[in-house]
Amino acid sequence: MTAETIIQSLASGLLMGLLYGLIAVGLALIFGLMDVVNFAHGEFLMIAMYATFFLFAFFAIDPLLSAPLVAAALFVFGAVVYLLIVRFAVRAKANAGMVQIFSTFGLAIVMRGLAQYFFTPDYRSITHSWLGGKTISVAGIFLPVPQLCGALVAIAAFVGLYFFINRTDFGRALEATREDAGAVALVGIDKNRVFALGWGLGAALVGLAGSIMAIFFYIYPDVGASFALIAYVTVALGGFGSVFGAFAGGLVVGLVEASTALILPPSLKSIGIYAVYLLVVFVRPRGLFGSI
Amino acid sequence: MTISRRNVLLGATASAALLPIAARAQTSEVVIGVIYPLSGASAQIGVDAQKAFETAAEIVNKNFDYDLPLARGEGLPGLGGAKVRLVFADHQADPQKGRAEAERLITQEKVCAVIGTYQSAVAVTVSQICERYQIPFMSADNSSPSLHRRGLKFYFRASPHDEMYSKAMFDFFDVMKKKGTKIDTLALFHEDTIFGTDSGNAQSKLAAERGYKIVADIKYRANSPSLSAEVQQIKAANADVLMPSSYTTDGILLVKTMGELGYKPPAIVAQDAGFSEKALYDAVGDKLEGVISRGTFSLDLAQKRPMVGKINEMFKEKSGKDFNDYSSRQFMALVLMADAINRAKSTDGEKIRDALAATDISGEQTIMPWKRVKYDESGQNNDADPVLLQYVGGKFVTIFPAQAAVAEASWPMK
Repeated sequence: MTAETIIQSLASGLLMGLLYGLIAVGLALIFGLMDVVNFAHGEFLMIAMYATFFLFAFFAIDPLLSAPLVAAALFVFGAVVYLLIVRFAVRAKANAGMVQIFSTFGLAIVMRGLAQYFFTPDYRSITHSWLGGKTISVAGIFLPVPQLCGALVAIAAFVGLYFFINRTDFGRALEATREDAGAVALVGIDKNRVFALGWGLGAALVGLAGSIMAIFFYIYPDVGASFALIAYVTVALGGFGSVFGAFAGGLVVGLVEASTALILPPSLKSIGIYAVYLLVVFVRPRGLFGSI
Repeated sequence: MTISRRNVLLGATASAALLPIAARAQTSEVVIGVIYPLSGASAQIGVDAQKAFETAAEIVNKNFDYDLPLARGEGLPGLGGAKVRLVFADHQADPQKGRAEAERLITQEKVCAVIGTYQSAVAVTVSQICERYQIPFMSADNSSPSLHRRGLKFYFRASPHDEMYSKAMFDFFDVMKKKGTKIDTLALFHEDTIFGTDSGNAQSKLAAERGYKIVADIKYRANSPSLSAEVQQIKAANADVLMPSSYTTDGILLVKTMGELGYKPPAIVAQDAGFSEKALYDAVGDKLEGVISRGTFSLDLAQKRPMVGKINEMFKEKSGKDFNDYSSRQFMALVLMADAINRAKSTDGEKIRDALAATDISGEQTIMPWKRVKYDESGQNNDADPVLLQYVGGKFVTIFPAQAAVAEASWPMK
């Protein structure tokens, strides 16, 4: 194993990690806001990828340009999912936890089924895009441009999210609702509106991730499953509900995955991630940056 | 002798007792179970397979003038013209779901034979269930050599397995080496279920026997979100030939990641699977000019055997795709199974099994480049010759063995 291999592995791990963070942050945001785990998170990613693909296939819009459009569409989609499904699920009188789990889990299955029915199970790819297939080589280390761009978008999204949550009225309303939903109702903030916007924001972030990923990953109805699993681990690692925990969790997952593959056979590379996760569960059950 | 009332009664009872048998002999339909991944990560395979099986059923059930078993005339003449009806089941690439679905097909749907399954890992459980219920199972497209070595009585496979395929690859290497091509080192890249593992083992064994050096043996997790670490190791090994055994998803990601990490091997010789799927070439075909894959089928055969082209047109009308290495084997599996049921003149599992075991069909009567179809005592057909195909200018041409080749191999790949 040469120094070059190690640096290359860590660089790839870092880029992947930032993207994992961007995928996971929407999940963390929604959980932090209202203690609901969105089991359809992977499917949100899947429709974002399909939306990017179809915008490319029918209107020849490059994924870089369609990313904001897709994020906006996912924002609406997320808000609608809250207003039509989750809003009623959280009101359940008995077994509220189960009802929430099954409502989003059911949504995931419906979305996958519909995607297979309407889009067919064929594997789609965006064959030509501005960034697709391009690579920057620095001293023998290869940095694929799409992943690099994904990493930059992820960093920008986190910085934007930081200012949004800390500096705007809506961000403060979000924080306040997260702290005590009953009290905010007393000061005249519409809880449902805040929740709907929170779901929209969470979906928009995963939409952004989906657009970038569509440049370099294949697209099919089940594509969300393996990424969603990583997103759950990322969120649990970083701390449930902590937006910046998701960022850090993503980095940890990416780097651990890459370095495990250096030591163990590649088929065991996810062992590293779950080992670190177990360690965190034992030592610090609320996650690295969790507040609960 | 006068016919008493008692005689009449006796006769009536006897005929009544015989009625079910008569009814069975005139069964108007024969139900065959087809078990594939119709949802989940490999749903695309199952959905295409469905079209291939439907094409085969159409040929059996209607009258076509092809030199293929059961094509002429309608239905199965051995069962009074009974039609084949297919019942599809979805195993989602999960061996446990495969087990449950096989059981359901046999006990609820009353199928008299089962065909499947794409993933070898699922074929393991499905064939065990069939064995237990004494229902014949045919591997249409599973290629793991361990499948027919479990002493199962009801297991059959007309197509080659990965040791036969891998042997063809190494025969090809030997020939190329004699011509002066530099082939000394190999990099194996295989997924971690029974398909990839068996294929990797077969290749390691052959490499050791024939004096090729394996410089990287990468077993990776199927459907990984990222393959950068794996590709780096292949790149560092820098072998003369890269030999992937990957399903479509991993195949696409492998080729993309190789591009991103600036790696281009002198040659790729693939163990089929993803590397014969249109989806892979749609996604990354531009990076694969000159890739070699093993197969059992080639549309080149249509030049010699016109029915291959005509049947391909029927399939294309249903699926929008040409026959590939998978759909062609799926098509053949149903024809061969229906032929055995016809010869058995019964839907009894044991009788169909015996008819399958007695199969001896010349390769000319198939759409494959095989010598013939005749199963050994383990249920494997050893007369199915694999071919090597090279992807040139957007389509596959046969390059090996010499008697089937229509073009010379171009090496290294572009």
